Amino acid sequence: MGLLHFGERPFTGHRRSVQVHLDGQERAVLVQLLTQLDDLLDDGRAPATDPLAELLGLCDLSGSDAFATPTAPPEDPAVARLLPEANRDDPQLATEFRRLTEIGLRARKRSGARDAAASLQRPDPVQLTTDEAWTLLKAITDLRLVLGERLELRSDPDAELLHRRLLGGDAPDEWLATASIYEVLTVWQESLVAAMSRRRS
Amino acid sequence: VSIAPVEVERPEVHELPAADTPWVTIVWNDPVNTMSYVTFVFQTYFGHPKQKAERLMRDVHEKGRAVVSAGSREAMERDTEAMHGYGLWATFRKDD
Repeated sequence: MGLLHFGERPFTGHRRSVQVHLDGQERAVLVQLLTQLDDLLDDGRAPATDPLAELLGLCDLSGSDAFATPTAPPEDPAVARLLPEANRDDPQLATEFRRLTEIGLRARKRSGARDAAASLQRPDPVQLTTDEAWTLLKAITDLRLVLGERLELRSDPDAELLHRRLLGGDAPDEWLATASIYEVLTVWQESLVAAMSRRRS
Repeated sequence: VSIAPVEVERPEVHELPAADTPWVTIVWNDPVNTMSYVTFVFQTYFGHPKQKAERLMRDVHEKGRAVVSAGSREAMERDTEAMHGYGLWATFRKDD
C-alpha cells in the first residue's frame, strides 16, 4: 500500500457531523486527486473558478456562446462514464438529454470536487456537515469511476480480479499504483457511507 | 326478496391510455459502485426505507438493472440526472 496506510476508522458519524480522521498525508493525496478530477472535467467551456459557472452553462443553451452545446458523449471514456448516455435505444433522446443537462452536471461535479478539497484543507479537527459529507462522498465516487475506467473494470469479475492481482503484486508499477489508490478510495468510501448512514438512524 | 342473481356493479378496471403510459428510470449495474453506496443513494434520494433500498440494489446487482422510478418524462429526466450526479448509470425510457 506504499505511503498510504489504513486508519482504523477514516470517518466517524456524530449527531450532526461526520468527523474526518484521515491524517495530513492521506488528506493531501485526496485533495490532489480531487484537483485532478476538477481538471479532467474541464472542457474549456466555463471558467473553473466562477461560482456562476452553472448559470453561465445555462446561457450556453441560448446559442449565443461561441461553444456549441454538447451533443455527443465525451471522447475520454472516463469522462463519458461520469456524464453517461441517458438512453441506450434512442440516440435522439440521449442527445437531447445531453444538450439540456451535460453542462450543468459537469459544472456541479467540478464544483463538488473543489468544495470537497477545500473542506479537507480546513484546520484539524475536520468535521463535515451532512451536505459537505455528501459532496465528498459523490466526489470520491466520481474518482473511483474514473480510476475504474482507467483500470478497465467492465464487469463484477474484473473488480474481483483486481483485488487478487493487487495482492499478488506481480503487475506493472503504474498499474499497481492506480489499483492501490482505487482500493484505498474504496475503503474510504465504505467508511464514509457507514459514518453517514449510522448518523441517520 | 328475490333469489335471482343480483346484478353486481363491478368497478371497471381502467387501462391507462397510451398517451399516459408512464416513463421509467432504470439504474444499471456497474463494477465500481459498492452495494452499500447504491443502497444509501436509494435511501437518500428516493426516501426508501433501508430494506426497500437494499432490495432495489440487489435487483441492480443481480439482474443487471432495475426500474427505480416511474412517472412523467420530465420527472424521469430529473431522476436520471440526479442518479448521474450520484455516479450511478441511469437511463430513462417510455415504459412498454
